[in-house]
Amino acid sequence: MAHQSLIAVTLLALLARYGVLAIWPMPRSLQTGTSPVKLSSDFTVRLEGIHAPPADLLSAIARTQSRLQSDRLERLVLGRGTADVKAIQGAHVLASLTATLHSGFPVRPITEETIRAIDSKSESYQLLVPTDHADATLVANSTLGLLRGLTTFEQLWYDYKGTKYMLEGPLQVVDEPAFPYRGFSLDTSRNFYTVTDILRTLDAMSWVKLSILYWRIIDSQSFPLEVEAYPELSQKGAYSLEEIYTRDDVKQVVKYANERGIDVVMELDSPGHTTAISAAFPEHIACAGKTPWSRYASEPPAGQLRIASPSTLSFASTLFSSVASSLPGTMMSSGGDEVNLPCWEEDAQTISDLAQRNLTIADALNGFIQTVQGVIKAHGKVPFIKSDMVLTHNAPVVNETVVVVWQKSADATAVASKGLRLIHQPSDYFYLDCGGGAWLGDDIFGNSWCDPFKTWQRAYSFDPYANLSIAQRSLVLGGQMPLWSEQSSPENLDPIVWPRLAAGAEVFWTGETLPDGSPRLGANATSGTRALARLHELRFRLVDRGVKAIALQPKWCVLRSGECDLYS
Amino acid sequence: MKLVALAALLATAYAPVQALWPQPRSIETGSSTLRLAPNFQITVNGHGVPGDFLSAVSRTKQYLFGDKLERLVVGRGAVDEPKFAKAKSLQRLTLSLEHGKSFASITSESQKAPEDRDEAYRLVVPADGSGATITANSTLGLFRGLATFTQLWYEHDNTIYTVSAPVTIQDAPAYPYRGFMLDTARNFFPVSDIKRTLDAMSWVKLNQFHWHVVDSQSFPLQIPGFTDLAEKGAYSSSQVYSLSDVRDIVSYAGERGIDVMVEIDTPGHTAIIAQAHPEYVACPQATPWATYANEPPAGQLRFANSTVTTYIANLFTAVTTLFPSTLFSTGGDELNTNCYAIDEPTQAALNATGRTLEQALDVFTQKTHKALEVKGKTPVVWEEMVLVHNVTLSPQTKVLVWISSDDVKAVAEKGFKIIHAASDYFYLDCGAGGWVGDNPNGNSWCDPFKTWQHSYSFDPTANLTAEESKLIYGGEHLLWTEQSGPQNLDPIVWPRAASSAELFWTGPGGNISTALPRLHDVAYRMRQRGVGAISLQPEWCALRPGACDLTA
Repeated sequence: MAHQSLIAVTLLALLARYGVLAIWPMPRSLQTGTSPVKLSSDFTVRLEGIHAPPADLLSAIARTQSRLQSDRLERLVLGRGTADVKAIQGAHVLASLTATLHSGFPVRPITEETIRAIDSKSESYQLLVPTDHADATLVANSTLGLLRGLTTFEQLWYDYKGTKYMLEGPLQVVDEPAFPYRGFSLDTSRNFYTVTDILRTLDAMSWVKLSILYWRIIDSQSFPLEVEAYPELSQKGAYSLEEIYTRDDVKQVVKYANERGIDVVMELDSPGHTTAISAAFPEHIACAGKTPWSRYASEPPAGQLRIASPSTLSFASTLFSSVASSLPGTMMSSGGDEVNLPCWEEDAQTISDLAQRNLTIADALNGFIQTVQGVIKAHGKVPFIKSDMVLTHNAPVVNETVVVVWQKSADATAVASKGLRLIHQPSDYFYLDCGGGAWLGDDIFGNSWCDPFKTWQRAYSFDPYANLSIAQRSLVLGGQMPLWSEQSSPENLDPIVWPRLAAGAEVFWTGETLPDGSPRLGANATSGTRALARLHELRFRLVDRGVKAIALQPKWCVLRSGECDLYS
Repeated sequence: MKLVALAALLATAYAPVQALWPQPRSIETGSSTLRLAPNFQITVNGHGVPGDFLSAVSRTKQYLFGDKLERLVVGRGAVDEPKFAKAKSLQRLTLSLEHGKSFASITSESQKAPEDRDEAYRLVVPADGSGATITANSTLGLFRGLATFTQLWYEHDNTIYTVSAPVTIQDAPAYPYRGFMLDTARNFFPVSDIKRTLDAMSWVKLNQFHWHVVDSQSFPLQIPGFTDLAEKGAYSSSQVYSLSDVRDIVSYAGERGIDVMVEIDTPGHTAIIAQAHPEYVACPQATPWATYANEPPAGQLRFANSTVTTYIANLFTAVTTLFPSTLFSTGGDELNTNCYAIDEPTQAALNATGRTLEQALDVFTQKTHKALEVKGKTPVVWEEMVLVHNVTLSPQTKVLVWISSDDVKAVAEKGFKIIHAASDYFYLDCGAGGWVGDNPNGNSWCDPFKTWQHSYSFDPTANLTAEESKLIYGGEHLLWTEQSGPQNLDPIVWPRAASSAELFWTGPGGNISTALPRLHDVAYRMRQRGVGAISLQPEWCALRPGACDLTA
C-alpha cells in the first residue's frame, strides 16, 4: 500500500515535470519513461519484411519523414525549447524506425484496407521507442495500422533549433480505436469549398486518426456534383460552372482520403433538401421555391422530390445508381431528414399521383426509401439514413441500415431499441456551426437554432454509450461532427473546424472513458493539465502545418498548464 | 394607383442592388450601364498633392481593375452583358479640393481630433461618359469619395462597369468616431494582420483603430525607456511591436484615413508588468484567480504607491511619443478590490497617507492623466472610471461604455462624451463558448453571438434627451482575443464590423432587409481583395435579395 502510493506520487511528479505527452487521440495504452531521445540527423523510417510495398504506404512514410523534418513545434512551456537544452544534449540518439507487419498478415495498399467494411478494418498498432540504442519499432496487422502508428510517431517530437527530441523515452504504445467510424461531415452545398480546401481538411483529419469523410455534397441550395447519368444537374444546379465537383475531382478526393486512412461516405439527401434538382428537372420537384418558405421547408428554398411520381422514382434510382457506381467505398447515405408534409399535400401532381396509385404520403415515402436503399444495397453498399426517417416516419429501412442520430443525443436510445446500428451526430454536442447567430435576413434578434456554441469541452464530454444497454452497445459504430455551411465557406473552414473536431476524434478513438478508466466528463478531464494541454499542442502543430486552427486560450494559459482552469 | 404601386415594387425588386457601404447620406442614381474605359485615368487638380494621397489614388486604380467582382444576381455578370455594347465609357475621374482649400496629407487630416476631421465629399458620375468628379474640403474627404467610387463597379469578361449611372452623392459621416478595437495581448497578431485589417477598415470608412495593445497576459509593446516591459513580458522576442513596427502601423493607418488610439489599460489588467517590476504589482497570479481578477492571471498596479504612479505617468509620457493621435486610452475597467485587500504594501501605503482606496485611485488617475494632458492628449476611459469609481476626470475625457448599452444614460447624465462599445451589441467574441479549462458546460459570458443585424439595429441615442444625444461621439466593434489569433481574425471580424461602420457613418434606422444585399457585396468584395470575410448566408440567398428573409 505504502509502496503503491509512492508510485502514485512519483507519477504525479513526472507529470508535473514533463507535462502531458501530447499525443492526440490518447492511445489506449501508453507507457513512458523519463529519458530524453532525439532523432539522428539522418533518421529514416524503414520497412522490414514487406516485399513489394504498396505505393500508398511508401508515400505515407515519405510524408512522415518530411513532417519529422518540417514540423517546428517548440514545447509549450515557459521558456519553450530553451527549457530542454540540457536534456537534449544528453539524449539518446534514435537512428531509425522499423515498420513491419505481424507475420501472416497480407500486404495490401492502405487504400484497400481503408475501404473495407466498417466493422472489419484493422487499425491497431504497437509502437516502441527504446532508449538502448536499438531502432524504434512499429508493428501492425495491416498497412492501415502502420499509417495510424506513423501518425502517432510524428506527434512525439518537439523541435529546438532543428533538433527533434522527446523527453519521455522509452515509450511504448499499444493502440487501437474503440469505434471504427470516426467522422467529419461537410456540407458543400450551402456554400462551396474548393477541392484544395477539402484535401487540406483530409490531411488534418488523418493527423487525428479520423476514418470517415461524410460528404454532404448536395442540398436545396446548389447541386455541385457532376453525375454521369445526369450532367445537367450540376450544369444547371451548381452555383457556377467553376463550383462543380467533376467526376475527376471526386475521384481525386476519394483517392486522397483513402490513402490517408479515410473512407468517404457520400450523402445524396432525399427526398427533402433537393430543390436544386429543379434547375435541371423541374418535373421532379414539388413546391420548388414556394413561399412562405417556412411553411414548406426548414430553410429556404422549399422543394422536395415528388415521391409519388413513378418517373421521379425512376429518376432517383438512376441518380443513386450512377453515383454509387462511381464510389469505391462500402457505405452510402440517402439522408432523409426534415421532410415537409404540406409541400406534398399541396402539390397538385403529388395529389394526383397518390390518387392514381391509391397511396398515402406515408406509403409513397416508404416506397421511395425502399427504392433508394435497394439501389444502394444493389451496389454492395451499406445504406445510411437520418434518424428522423426512422423515429418520426417509421420508414421500413433494411436491417443493415446505419442511422445517423442528429436531432438530439437522447434519440440514440430510441434508434438502438429498434435494433438498428447508429452513428452519433447529435446537434447538442457535435454541431460545429451552432452559436453563429441567425443567418436569415430581417431577423434582428434571431439566434442560432442550436445555440449555444459547442465547445471542444462539450463535445469531449460526450458518452457514446449513454442510456444504452450493454446489449445495445454493439450497435454504436462511432460518430461524427458536422459542419453545416450556411455561414461557412473556405474563409472560415479551418477556424470553425479546428481544433474542435479533434475532440470528436478522441471520443471515438478512446471510447466510453479515457484509457485509464476515468470518465471524460469527470473532474479535471478537460483541464489545462490534461486534455487541454494536449489539445493546445495539437492546435499549434496544426497551425505549423498550415491549418488555421484557432487559439483556445490566451497564449499565457497555453504556457502554464492548468492556471486558466475554472477553479484554479 | 395599384398599378403604380406594383410598378414601383417591380422596380425595387429588379433594380440593381446599390452596393455602397456605408450608405451615403444623400444619393441619386440612375439605371444606365456605364463602362470604365481601359485607359481610365484619375487626375488630381491642384498643386502640392501629398504623397500619401497619390498612393491612395494608385491603390484606387488597383481596386478598380483588380476587384473582378461579378454582380451578385442569378446568372451573375452574364445578365449584364447585353447592355455592354451600348454603354458609354468613363475616361476620367477628377479629384479637386473646394475653392480656397489647400492640400494636406491624408495622414495629418486623419490624426486631428475626430470632431475636427472633415470627411465630407461630393461624387458625381455622369451617365454619358463625360468625366466623373469628386470634390471635398480635404484630402481625407476625397479619400472617402474614392472608397465610395470603387464600390460602384463590377466586372464581367474583362469589362468593368456600373449599372447605376448617373450617380450623384453628397456624403458626410453622422458621427466623428467610427472605430474597431483589437486586443493584441491575449494572443499576438503580426503587423501584416493589423495592416490587412486597417485596409478593410478603410474600405468601409472606419476612422479609428483602438489598439488594446497590452494586458495582464502579455506586454508586446516596445516603449523607449521602458523596454524591459516587452523584453520580459512579451510572449516571445518575435511577438513584440518594435518602434519601427508601431511607426509602420501608425503611418499605414494614417495614409488610409485611420487614427490609432493606443490603450495602456491601468490600473487593472497589468499583471504582466510584474515580470519586469514585481514590486509594482499587487496580487500577481494570486489564486483562486476568480477572487482577484475577471480572468487569469490576477495582478494589478499598486496605484496607492507614489513610485508606481510616477512610473505610470512617465510610461504614458513615453507612449505619447509613439502615437500622434489626440486620443489616448488609459483603460480603467474591472478593477478588483480583493486584490488590494490582501496586498500589504498597498495597505501600508494607504495607512501612511490616510487615504481610502478610492482616494488613492483618484490621485493616481489625476496624476497619470495630467501626464497625457500636458502632451496635448485627451484621455479615454472605460465606463467604470465614471460609474463605479469617484475619480476626478477632465470634462474632455471620453468614455467607452462596454458593460451594457443600458449604462449609456448614466454616463450621459454625467456629461461625458460617449463612445459606444457595448458588449450586448458590439463584442465580436461573444458566443464562442467558455474558454477557461475544466468547464465542459461553460458558455460565453456575453452569449449569444452578436449578429451583424443585431449590431446594425443599435440606436445610439436610445433613452437620451436631445441635449444628451449630442454627447455621442460614435462607436466601435471590439475583438477580445482569448479565442482569437491570426487564424480567425478575418472571419470573426468581417463583414460584421462593417455593420457599425454604416451605423455610425449613415446614422441609425437602416433597414436590415435592404442592407443585407449590400453587406453581401461588401463581403464578396473583401474576399476579392484578400480579406477572409465569412459567408453570411448560402450563396443561393446572396444571389436572391430577400428570398431568405425570416418571413419571405
